Amino acid sequence: MTKQVLSPIAVTDAKPLYTGISLGLCFCKVCRKVNYVSHSHCTRCHSTLATRNYASVQQSWALLITAFALLILANIYPITLITNRGVVTNDTIFSGTVHLVKTDMIPIAIIVFTASVLVPWLKIIGLAIYLTAISFNLPVSKKKLMVGFHVIEWIGRWSMLDLFVISITVALVNMGQLLDAKPAPAATAFALVILLTQLAAKVLDTRLLWDRMETEHDSK
Amino acid sequence: MTETEVSQCQVLCRSCDLVVQKRALPSRVRALCPRCHTALYDTPYCSINGMLALCIAAILLFLPANTLSVIEIHFFGSIRNTTAMHAAIAVAQEGYWIVGLAVAISAVIAPLLLISSIFIQVCIAKLGLQNPFWRQIYTLLLKRQELLSQLTMLEIYVLSFLVSAFQLSDFSDVHMGMGTFCFTMLFIVMIFLQREYNLEHMWSLLDD
Repeated sequence: MTKQVLSPIAVTDAKPLYTGISLGLCFCKVCRKVNYVSHSHCTRCHSTLATRNYASVQQSWALLITAFALLILANIYPITLITNRGVVTNDTIFSGTVHLVKTDMIPIAIIVFTASVLVPWLKIIGLAIYLTAISFNLPVSKKKLMVGFHVIEWIGRWSMLDLFVISITVALVNMGQLLDAKPAPAATAFALVILLTQLAAKVLDTRLLWDRMETEHDSK
Repeated sequence: MTETEVSQCQVLCRSCDLVVQKRALPSRVRALCPRCHTALYDTPYCSINGMLALCIAAILLFLPANTLSVIEIHFFGSIRNTTAMHAAIAVAQEGYWIVGLAVAISAVIAPLLLISSIFIQVCIAKLGLQNPFWRQIYTLLLKRQELLSQLTMLEIYVLSFLVSAFQLSDFSDVHMGMGTFCFTMLFIVMIFLQREYNLEHMWSLLDD
């Protein structure tokens, strides 16, 4: 590997900042080992190396838009079907939480509301802002975007709570006409929303955000 | 600079590709990326024997946690109980197999695979890293480690059976038994196991 002319991307506190790509280095996505760009495969785990995954923005958009469509379905259609002494009631995600508030289980209602309403919507809106910032070069603070992204990555899985609760209820409450709980169409849509949004966050190459806005809004 | 020197003294931030000089850290301190504040590395503690002990505890707890009933309700004299896998199958039998599969994978299958994967990794690290065959298996397992730990959602499952217990106590008597205890213990052991486990350190065992 011959030495290249190195140009720092920015200078803060009299210290030059280099990115891996400007030094001819890239890390392996699988085992995080630092390799030279000239290699095609990682020297440690033999996975294929790539400096940037430019297609990931499109993939992420596609997954996110699908997830958004499904989230609307998940909120419109009922998620559980409850038979109580012969009377059948449909519960959507939202009416389920409202029912919890009415029966004076406020703490449980807060948990369920956070996991099944707040988290999915925040995740989709947050990812949409993040992707717009990459695609259209929005003047948003990159640091704040990155913090938001890490929160989304971490909190996203908690939506599974609703599905776990449904599975436990369905398995336990099966006394025919007397009292019976069954899942309803929105459950599948909701499961797919979780899967697709997690994938959208996982597939995205966040380094693209930092590349594109390098010249302009770097002050924050 | 040779390849190994580069990777020993520099790290690239996985979120923004910034080159950061690696330094020795005091224990319990994490290095953050100066530009985007992503966690870069921490001091590898990662005691192999400690992980082996936690692994064995997890394996011992796994069977009762998934065969004894996690939650049991008494409703007008009839008793219903369920385990995590049984609940997943019940949803799948109603025709919602995607939901059933998601529950089964994240509450039963992924944790089982994760525990066995770490167990095999620890055994290989202790006994046979020189053997090329075992090295290959070790690499294969490490590559799937991140996916498995993301799919494992025991902490969410524990919270969700507490939530269901509250919801069901509205109209029935809810009982929790040995299964609940084992499941909760399994979750606690897994937390400690995942805290102890350091993927970076496990990869670096391959280097030397």
